[in-house]
Amino acid sequence: MTKYIRKEQIEKLQQQFPGILYDAEQAKPAIYVKPEELLAVLRYAKEQVSFSFDRLSNLTAVDYKDYFEMVYHLFSRRYFTWLTVKVKLENHEAPEIASVTSLWAGANFEEREVYDLMGVNFTDHPDLRRILMPDNYGGHPLRKDFEPLVPKIEGGVLTWQKQNHIS
Amino acid sequence: MAKTEPYILNMGPQHPSTHGVLQVQLELDGERILGAKPVMGYLHRGIEKLMESRTYTQCVPYTDRLDYVSSMNNNLGFCETVEELAGIEVPERAEYIRVIVAELNRIASHLIFIGTLMIDLGAATGMIYAFRDREKILDLFNIICGARMTFHYIRIGGVCADAQPEFIAETEKFLEYVPKMLEEYDHLMTGNEIFYHRLKGTSPLTREDVLRYSMSGPNVRASGVDYDIRKIDSYSIYDRFDFNVPLGTNGDNWDRYQVRFHEIIESAKIIRQAIDNLPDGEIMAKVPKVLRPPKGDVYHRVENTRGELGFYIVSDGSTKPYRVHIRRPSFVNLQALDTMCRGMLLADSVAAFSTIDPLMGEVDC
Repeated sequence: MTKYIRKEQIEKLQQQFPGILYDAEQAKPAIYVKPEELLAVLRYAKEQVSFSFDRLSNLTAVDYKDYFEMVYHLFSRRYFTWLTVKVKLENHEAPEIASVTSLWAGANFEEREVYDLMGVNFTDHPDLRRILMPDNYGGHPLRKDFEPLVPKIEGGVLTWQKQNHIS
Repeated sequence: MAKTEPYILNMGPQHPSTHGVLQVQLELDGERILGAKPVMGYLHRGIEKLMESRTYTQCVPYTDRLDYVSSMNNNLGFCETVEELAGIEVPERAEYIRVIVAELNRIASHLIFIGTLMIDLGAATGMIYAFRDREKILDLFNIICGARMTFHYIRIGGVCADAQPEFIAETEKFLEYVPKMLEEYDHLMTGNEIFYHRLKGTSPLTREDVLRYSMSGPNVRASGVDYDIRKIDSYSIYDRFDFNVPLGTNGDNWDRYQVRFHEIIESAKIIRQAIDNLPDGEIMAKVPKVLRPPKGDVYHRVENTRGELGFYIVSDGSTKPYRVHIRRPSFVNLQALDTMCRGMLLADSVAAFSTIDPLMGEVDC
């Protein structure tokens, strides 16, 4: 069955990075990392032999209306354990975080997806473009305050415009 | 050798060997590929957003439309995630039936892989053979749930209909047929010299490549990385079965074909054991009519035919999920396409698309 990181190990991480917060009450602990410390924490968790979280299993973001939360699910192929790393992005208008593509090249598409659908900007990303929505699309559909745009052809060019509400 | 000016060739979205509506921008120098950029989104339906406005039970049919040739595994992944979130215990019999249908679906999906690989390389006969045998599995699904595709058979808390004796008998008949079927493929395809030389040594991926790109599934195992979630992070009741994980050594197209070929044998082994140990009893747990999982979030993953299929669900305590994220294996695997195609000939790119086995329903979600 699924194993999660042990509490002693989280405390060891905390000694290295005092900025890490974590809820000891939860059965499936997730650690909260400051945005500026993210890359250092992930690199430490990946490269230290006692952690060996060498696989980035999943990367996503959640819109909590007044802030965004980045979620990273790391898996250790050596110890078969899980580590959930969460980062709170306070700026809801223009969220920004460092890209983890320097650690896992496979995060490329997933970060592009988050950028496309959530509007989170990743610094130092090699190729940050929209991936699922059209290039000239004007919104980020997975945000909670998103209103669908309507397609319109003007002068042979497909554009996306705001709906006119009937009031 | 004379150098020509590099140019861009758009392959797809309407191309038979891109398995749907994948567009690949190939940068070519003569016939040599200098780079391949996948362009997707043509089938984007916004399933993650749609699920936010549906109840948990209503979400299940959407998962059928992700990887539509192995829907059972998708149903399984989503239902197990919700069960973990809501703390629902699934009855033994339902677990066994789930494993049987999921593994049958894995065989069906690998047969499609073999069939499409053959037709992409120009052997239409091979495709007909593989689709003929896949039809037998679809008939089995027709018996158990009345649908040949998009089953919606695995539900939250169990399965929707019991496995009738007729289904078990027909499945046993199919299991007897599997070795004969594979022997036929061995003679027809594996032993074919043209087929061998088209695949052997083309588009290799090293161990480092597949780990760097966070790939999963048979593509990883073909490069010799022992990473099968059924073994290392077992879910459902997979830890009760005795099966092997086929591994490749070179990570080329040939190994990716061989790994899937041998996975059919292993899946048949699992089904055999599951049928032999199938207990009697309930097929559905007591699930409240209105499902309100407690506040919290869960990430759970299963080994889909194409790799690691993960569901991340955030619940706010209401009847609808606050956020669903689906980690689609094909989507992540596609990143390796550039590495695979680089330096190969244009004709080999078709084999590379085929053996990486993307499914656009899943890539675009």
